[in-house]
Amino acid sequence: MPEAVFRLEEVSFRFPEDDRAVLNGISFEIRRGERVVLSGPSGCGKSTLLYLLNRLYPANCDGIVGGTVRLFGRLSEVWKPGEINRFVATVFQDPDAQFCMPTVEQELAFTLENLRVPREEMKRRIVEVLALTGLEELRGAVIQNLSGGQKQRVAAACALVMQPEVLLLDEPLAHLDPHTARELVRWLDGLQKKTGLTVVAVEHRLDLWDGFFDREIRLGPEGRLTGCGPFLPGPPMRFPERPAAIGEEASLRVEELSVSIRGQEILSKLSFQLNESEIAVIAGPNGSGKSSLAKALCGIYKKSGGRVNAASGIGYVPQSPEFLFLTASVREELAFSGIASGEEVDGLMERLRLEEIADAHPFSVSHGQKRRAAIGAMLADNRPVIVMDEPTSGQDAAALLELYELIDERRREGVSFLIITHDMEFAAAIADSVMLMKDGALTGKFRAADVWADPGLLAAHHLIPPKGANAHEPAFA
Amino acid sequence: MSRLLHDMNPSVKFLAVIVSMLTMAFFFNPWTPLLFWVGLLVVQVLMSRVNWKVWGLMMLPMGLGAAGYLWTTLVFGADTGGEVIGSFLGIEVTDEQWARAWSLAFRVLAFSGLSLLFALTTDPVTFIMSLMQQLRVPPKLAYGTMVSYQFLPVLKDELVQIRQAQRLRGVDEGKHWWQRALGMRRLLIPMLAGAVRKAERAAFAMEAKGFTGEPRSEFYQPVKIGARDFALGGMFLVLLVGSCVAGVWLG
Repeated sequence: MPEAVFRLEEVSFRFPEDDRAVLNGISFEIRRGERVVLSGPSGCGKSTLLYLLNRLYPANCDGIVGGTVRLFGRLSEVWKPGEINRFVATVFQDPDAQFCMPTVEQELAFTLENLRVPREEMKRRIVEVLALTGLEELRGAVIQNLSGGQKQRVAAACALVMQPEVLLLDEPLAHLDPHTARELVRWLDGLQKKTGLTVVAVEHRLDLWDGFFDREIRLGPEGRLTGCGPFLPGPPMRFPERPAAIGEEASLRVEELSVSIRGQEILSKLSFQLNESEIAVIAGPNGSGKSSLAKALCGIYKKSGGRVNAASGIGYVPQSPEFLFLTASVREELAFSGIASGEEVDGLMERLRLEEIADAHPFSVSHGQKRRAAIGAMLADNRPVIVMDEPTSGQDAAALLELYELIDERRREGVSFLIITHDMEFAAAIADSVMLMKDGALTGKFRAADVWADPGLLAAHHLIPPKGANAHEPAFA
Repeated sequence: MSRLLHDMNPSVKFLAVIVSMLTMAFFFNPWTPLLFWVGLLVVQVLMSRVNWKVWGLMMLPMGLGAAGYLWTTLVFGADTGGEVIGSFLGIEVTDEQWARAWSLAFRVLAFSGLSLLFALTTDPVTFIMSLMQQLRVPPKLAYGTMVSYQFLPVLKDELVQIRQAQRLRGVDEGKHWWQRALGMRRLLIPMLAGAVRKAERAAFAMEAKGFTGEPRSEFYQPVKIGARDFALGGMFLVLLVGSCVAGVWLG
């Protein structure tokens, strides 16, 4: 049996400013060459646990560690700063916040300079790692100009150039679309087979990884281990069933909408109709014009041609809802425009369950609450057609369910939604219709069920069919 | 035309610029800054491939500023004595005032010319690397600057997004520049909140790559320094001393 790389015994961890520990009584062992996933809901401490393995914690937060953490048989405390990083490399989730140099080659060199590798060897190792990862063409590329998936590959190459024994992955797929995510997983699989690395990943959505992992370590509430065993790709996420109840009245009618920015046409002649209480998902490859459509509909982008007829206003909730906030409390946020009367605002606050945070600063509440407040603000401004840009990105199962409920409740009130998402399980659960986009044009608006049954159509738009013919809870089980 | 100034070691160039600026501050005759400025122009024409259109655009506001200095010093300058050499629209101008006014105007030109020479011939990344390698600037500071440099486009993108979202909420940005300037506060808070999170992530990523902030001995792309750089530095020095001496002699 290969030797243990990490061995944790009764480990607990507490941030100095908190009363409660984030991790409690964690014991496990990870052996050389294993592929292990640390899973659990958001906020269960799995990232904290990962940071104990590369010594980012406790040094960076003065955290208080109980129990013993052994890295390669040595106690964590006795490693010198930076020493462990020769053996344990990490890839983080945000592709935009893990590089400090302009080009791929310089970033690789930065890592090697940190390790004080002699210059001649640097050159050799850079060539080697680029060959290993198949990124030779990107050697001189400017990192800023790469796509999200390419950036994550470069991040992995930067990790591998250290010739580590362990690769830690901190939700590396969170910002990628499913197609790109799947390609990255396949690529990592090939790399692990070639190098025999130990891989430890933090992930809350395991469906994209298929059979990548050997073992799963599950964390539960209060940062305790709730399970540890062979990895079984779990069933896809289940959402409650909901009856389709599209209204008769059109709430939005778009005719030949075109948008040009600086002489370049980014949307050409889109026509569709959306009814009251209808939920439509907009899907398509990155750069196909989904966000531009959202912005054109709600008036951020000027249309260069066509017509948008809406019964009343069209609202917009960006991926970061806090971009919309202007005031110091959630109540003021809803009342900001002065369109809704005091009573109407009160009614909205009650329906959206915002009363408990009415006086809280909109920046200080949870992500789910921010989104509620943003939708509340849109409804208060009399915008009963709401366009949501990527609300599912980086969300765990509980957050997705909450989002589902939020949308479904509003739909019952007659609000219609246009939702941009890459998450096809979510789309399958919530959508009445699906609008497929490609190269700034609308392929068509389809009945949701027809789209899921047409793999060719999905593949042409870089989409993966949702797992299971129907992602709803089986109605007649 | 050569690219000598572009290839010059940025640290040496930086020192030459700083020394020139400090020295220039002690000379109050009009000739020194004028000669120096003309000298800089000649050097740039001969030894660099500056985009003169950009140069002209950047120099334009500086030129206006210089003219403003000239005018205000002539009209409102304190009476310093000296002979009256002429009058203009009922304002009497003494020879000392005349000299001082031109000195201030040329000084603005010389300083901006110097800054532009540096800015237009220096690659920021090489400059930071050179500061670290030649002037022993701590790597924490150097790479910290590098990271923020990488963040600039991301932040700009976010600022656009925030502005668009806030317009949708019906924010009136105001007609006057001061209203818009005050409105920046609303844009900056969400942007900075995001930037703090990004900065922390970037710091973690750097540390995970073994960055400890200790001075490093081995560089992948050493920024070279050699006889040519010192020669060019010497040339700046000669230009500086020359214009100082000539200025005092002519003034």
